[in-house]
Amino acid sequence: MSDPYILETLDNGLRIVIEQMPDVRSAAAGFLIDTGARDEVAPQAGVSHFLEHMMFKGTSKRHWRDITTDFDKLGSSYNAYTSEDRTIYYGWVRKADLDAQIEILADMMTSTLPEEEFQMERNVVLEEIAMSKDQIEHVAFDFLQEKVFEGHPLAWPILGYDETVEALTRDQMWAYFQQRYAPDNMLLVVAGNVDPNAVIKSIKGHCGQWRPSGTTSTRVPPQMKNGTNVLQMDRFKQQIVAITIPAAPAGGVQAEIASAVATILGGENSRFFWNIVQTGLSPRAAAFHYEFADTGMMLLYGSCQPENCEKLHDAMREEARRINDDGVEEHEVQRVRNRRRTSLALEAEVPYHRLTQLMDDMQYLGQPRTVDKMLSEVDQITVDSVQDYMTKFPLSAAGHLVSVGPRDWPSNASND
Amino acid sequence: MTDFVHDTLPCGIEYAVCPLPRRKVVCFQLRVLAGMVTEPADKLGLMNILSESIDKGTENYTGQQLADALDVIGASSGIGAGRETITFSCTVLPEHLERIVELQAELLRRPTFPENMLTVNLDLAKQELSTLEDDASGLSEKMMGPIAFGPLLGRHPLGEVATLDAITRQDLVEHWKKYFHAGNMLLSVAGDIDPQRVSDVFEKHFSEFGSPVKQGREAVPVKFTPQVLHRDKKLEQEQISICWPGVDARHEDFPAQQVMLGILSGGMSSRLFTEVREKQGLVYWVSAWQETPRGSGMIFLGASTTPERCDKTFHTLLHEVNRLADDITQEELDRTLTGILASQETRGDSTRSHSHEIASDLFFHGRPISPTEKADKFSRVTIDDIQRYLATHPRDKMCVVTLGPKALQQSTNTSHAEAQ
Repeated sequence: MSDPYILETLDNGLRIVIEQMPDVRSAAAGFLIDTGARDEVAPQAGVSHFLEHMMFKGTSKRHWRDITTDFDKLGSSYNAYTSEDRTIYYGWVRKADLDAQIEILADMMTSTLPEEEFQMERNVVLEEIAMSKDQIEHVAFDFLQEKVFEGHPLAWPILGYDETVEALTRDQMWAYFQQRYAPDNMLLVVAGNVDPNAVIKSIKGHCGQWRPSGTTSTRVPPQMKNGTNVLQMDRFKQQIVAITIPAAPAGGVQAEIASAVATILGGENSRFFWNIVQTGLSPRAAAFHYEFADTGMMLLYGSCQPENCEKLHDAMREEARRINDDGVEEHEVQRVRNRRRTSLALEAEVPYHRLTQLMDDMQYLGQPRTVDKMLSEVDQITVDSVQDYMTKFPLSAAGHLVSVGPRDWPSNASND
Repeated sequence: MTDFVHDTLPCGIEYAVCPLPRRKVVCFQLRVLAGMVTEPADKLGLMNILSESIDKGTENYTGQQLADALDVIGASSGIGAGRETITFSCTVLPEHLERIVELQAELLRRPTFPENMLTVNLDLAKQELSTLEDDASGLSEKMMGPIAFGPLLGRHPLGEVATLDAITRQDLVEHWKKYFHAGNMLLSVAGDIDPQRVSDVFEKHFSEFGSPVKQGREAVPVKFTPQVLHRDKKLEQEQISICWPGVDARHEDFPAQQVMLGILSGGMSSRLFTEVREKQGLVYWVSAWQETPRGSGMIFLGASTTPERCDKTFHTLLHEVNRLADDITQEELDRTLTGILASQETRGDSTRSHSHEIASDLFFHGRPISPTEKADKFSRVTIDDIQRYLATHPRDKMCVVTLGPKALQQSTNTSHAEAQ
């Protein structure tokens, strides 16, 4: 069977990926802008995320109210989000409304960042930052990144800091916008029951006149720091214990293996679940493969009563050591493959999910994968390939330990 | 046009199947009609413990063996205890339907509730109760539950430390024996599957599972106690929740209520998002929603904001509710209706959504309802209907909960007349 997608690049550099899904009744479209928190300069930390908010605030064609009203007139499920290395705007609509959806999204990309809305939206972002400070997991994760990537743009929070958001000017944001939101730094993905020729014609009409900025990536791979840090916060009841260990970067078979290792270690029906959670030590203990294009980390993460920090830490380390030294069992690998098969089948029926998968593929692999291709790569994970992975990214590495909560543990750590 | 099969198996399970050709997965939901409302008053938290324990050991499997068996077929499954039901959800590739039903029957029919697993789950529940203090929105919900819904429907899933301490293995066994039988179960299935195959496999594995007589269909009454409740807590933001009675999912005014909620909080052009967030920058999060146990419905508004903006946010929320009766436009109504109908259509591409939708229909309406019939009910809602709904369901008494460093400044009685 031929690939179900069409790849095209407009003269101005805008890359387009379209996947035909003939059995569905809807379609999703989204822009991925290759910019995020790691592309900011320190005094402007948070500009990518604040800009994402401002993109809903008006264009030369639409007042902010018209943007949201026009989305809602289509009955679109739409939103936007910012990460360390991307900003995404998407809408999921009935298939007949796809052209109108692309037109609104494309118009948003030409935002005027209205001055009169800037202060009001700054308040909204400051409220979002305040909300994040009441969530211990958010606090812990920001703290972890701050320490693990110290001295690198990946160290600052996606939302920015109160001070940087308060100090940011509209002119600074405008300069960032002009540089980063250009067609040669963007990807447009469409998935659903669509006519590709009509979609390309529509995109050319809406985006063909945009000018490239010639922006180039200034990203520098981070050096992950080893160490131990504590953020003592009396206001919380529980303690978060998190260990990061270098892992494979995003894209390719090594990343699939890292993801499988995380599942075996700390997913559902995992070693963490049976040997840590189900011993009563921690209500939540999990492992994640956290990935960027140029680096990755294995995150071992748990929450516990403050008096159980040492036990939780030791238990997570012990499970990591066992996998590192003894490898994984064939039945564990098989379970990962089986689960993945079902989840991919489930995701493959929803255009919005395919949209996000295609965006991942394009950003980290440079080309889309069919669901069958994704499955064939999962099938390549074996006991031996996991063992081989461990020699490159040993789970026995010291890594970085952070502890957040009411207890000053470990006492020999750097305190904040 | 969606064709359903809706019937009752000889064993007593009421079921509905929605065949969806060319889908690659099968999703189903089994609901046992027993939730937190069935807990003895001195054993609160029992249903959550039961849901955590029921798959941790059966006559033929240890908990881990059962989890491994589910993984062998790549099944995605979950168990959740709610107010009125405990739900068992599964997604598998169609070729594994027989095996997943066999495994679900194993845990539903032959749980052993091992003592050691119960001890762990009780300990974990107590830890969760303690860490609930770190979850501002969760705490706010816990404060609102008893005053909005009353002592039965307003229970918290985790119970209390004292009631958890009182739960024994025998309690789980007795509760399971009392409520887990085929006549007390609803089943919804969606996917590329022959309905006969569904009925055959479920009948095979659930025949003679207790009484086939239908039970558990009675509504539990709400006890609404309007009041203002504040708890001081060191937080960056104040959590604000407001609640008043609405109508239940079977009420003739339910479509009007849902459209009203859409106008208030359906999309980013809705009133709360526009007036509270976009125009005044008071919040990042603001929302309106409904919760509808059988036979009742409650409307909620929620927002979180820094303490100095708390009063203004609160009064803006009330103002937006009050002016609804005066100035809904046809354009606004049309936009909201489009949102509801389009969402129904796009969600229809998800097999899991179909399964959940049918489960909800069986629970509330006693039958699956086609998307066309649902769309027709919403399409007929007019501005007059919403105004009549607002007039006949006044917001004259409310529950108001705030959690954070600052109580509402003005003396706020539970009548919202003062905000008009």
